[in-house]
Amino acid sequence: MTMNIIETSGLGKRYGSTWALRECTLAIPAGHVAALVGPNGAGKTTLLNLAVGLAEPTAGGVTVLGDKPAGSPAALDGIAFVAQDTPLYKNLSAADMLHLTRNLNRRFDQRYAETRLAELGIPLKRKTGRLSGGQQAQLALTLALARRPRLLVLDEPVAMLDPVARHDFMATVLTAAIDDGVSVLLSSHVLAELERVADYLILLSRGRVQVAGEVDGLLACHRLLTGPAAEADRYTERPVVHARRGEAQAHLLVRVGADYSVPPGWESHPVDLEELAMAYLREPGAAALPGPARARALPLETGEPSEVTR
Amino acid sequence: MVIDKGNGVPDGGTDTWPAGGGLDSDQHLRVSDAEREAATGQLAEHFAAGRLDQAEFDDRAGRAMSARTRADLSGLFADLSETGAPAVPGRPEGGGTPGSGPRGPGSPIEFRLDAASGVPTYLQLVHQVEHALRLGYLKPGDQLPKVRDVVASLAINPNTVLKAYKELETKGLTAGRPGQGTFIQATLGQIALPELAGLHKSLLGWLTTADAAGLDQDGIVALFTSALRDFHERRGGTGDRRGAASGETEDVA
Repeated sequence: MTMNIIETSGLGKRYGSTWALRECTLAIPAGHVAALVGPNGAGKTTLLNLAVGLAEPTAGGVTVLGDKPAGSPAALDGIAFVAQDTPLYKNLSAADMLHLTRNLNRRFDQRYAETRLAELGIPLKRKTGRLSGGQQAQLALTLALARRPRLLVLDEPVAMLDPVARHDFMATVLTAAIDDGVSVLLSSHVLAELERVADYLILLSRGRVQVAGEVDGLLACHRLLTGPAAEADRYTERPVVHARRGEAQAHLLVRVGADYSVPPGWESHPVDLEELAMAYLREPGAAALPGPARARALPLETGEPSEVTR
Repeated sequence: MVIDKGNGVPDGGTDTWPAGGGLDSDQHLRVSDAEREAATGQLAEHFAAGRLDQAEFDDRAGRAMSARTRADLSGLFADLSETGAPAVPGRPEGGGTPGSGPRGPGSPIEFRLDAASGVPTYLQLVHQVEHALRLGYLKPGDQLPKVRDVVASLAINPNTVLKAYKELETKGLTAGRPGQGTFIQATLGQIALPELAGLHKSLLGWLTTADAAGLDQDGIVALFTSALRDFHERRGGTGDRRGAASGETEDVA
């Protein structure tokens, strides 16, 4: 049976009068590499901080690793979190960081950490502030993985890295996923590489969950239809996520069901993850929360005020 | 790729540009146009392998063409791994490929990804195995790269690789051996020759008609691609080989 690695219900967080996250109801099953995507200020970091227990919810609740309240000792024990901008003590050496992390945690696999750093060629004596960006990221990741977590949470892990470092970083993450069965939740606004990495997508927009589900399922139920612009309005019964129209030709990104058929005179293309995410990000009013098990939990339409705003 | 020693490019006995050994002492030497071009060619290979993006490639190619000394040139490769054929599964790449663990004898093939193709990643892997089978790079009994090695070398989701391997197994091309890996068990037989000749002939006839209708080559390719896509779309996109094609083509929306 699969447990939910993160489960939220009606989760909200308000800073002053601004809701950074509201009415967030999610259930991410274990065993995925889940990507949390959204524009700047969509609430990604807020959601991650709530999940790892660094922030207290204003409304609703969040549990992790099955049913453990976020922030509880049992939850903290099983989660490793690498915050944005690879937090390291820049004046400590890599060896000191290892020592420190080992002593601050109940569980720490020293041998894994040392082996890994040796493979990466990271000099243990050097101050972490003097390592390259890629090495700092790998060091922070190694410290996190050496805690042998069941859930690894990464906030914008690769935003600052060059392509080679990005590739190597993600390879480490994904290898941990396959070797140790670590579930991963990572936030990103780099869409392009996500399709390779993630098999679960959560799209946040303006503090709300817009899309959530397994990538395969999401791609299977969306198509890009290209056809005559004059007929574009005839297909409103099919949920149109995003439309781009010229004088004569229109492109409609639509959500389709199992009984879907291509309208005569139209051409149908599969979509990729980037196209899909872009379409939703451009239409903050649209929502897709497929997956039979989860459809119940999520408000399909946004826009109406909710009881969370009390 | 091996650089011809005759053109004055330092080789050092390896097939990489920042050749080991004696190069260091030559770092101050001036470089020739041939060397600049060779370096650009190698940058292009890194670009093709996805280690450089377009902007980085342009930048480095520009610097290669204006390089004065060998140090200038080798600096351009300092953060790149070896060129040429993609690494053997499990072989460290770029100084940062993770993983230790046991390494088998390896597979005859190595996967690559084309981000611009629009083809789903798992299908790219499936196609590459089929392609390698057709071309004879893979034969029955050969081992496919281990899932973990593919994950590590391409930085892709493990489920993607598993999905591709499952698809290959469903197609009857491979079989998993517990604890060992996935092995090729069938060849990808071509359609029987007489059938192929007939198809070829009818396609030529169709091409003649298309040509007479005024379609140029690009138009023909576009039409064919679009029809092929519709065809797959309507039969469910699973890419099943064979099947009662005549029955399915009329299954129009």
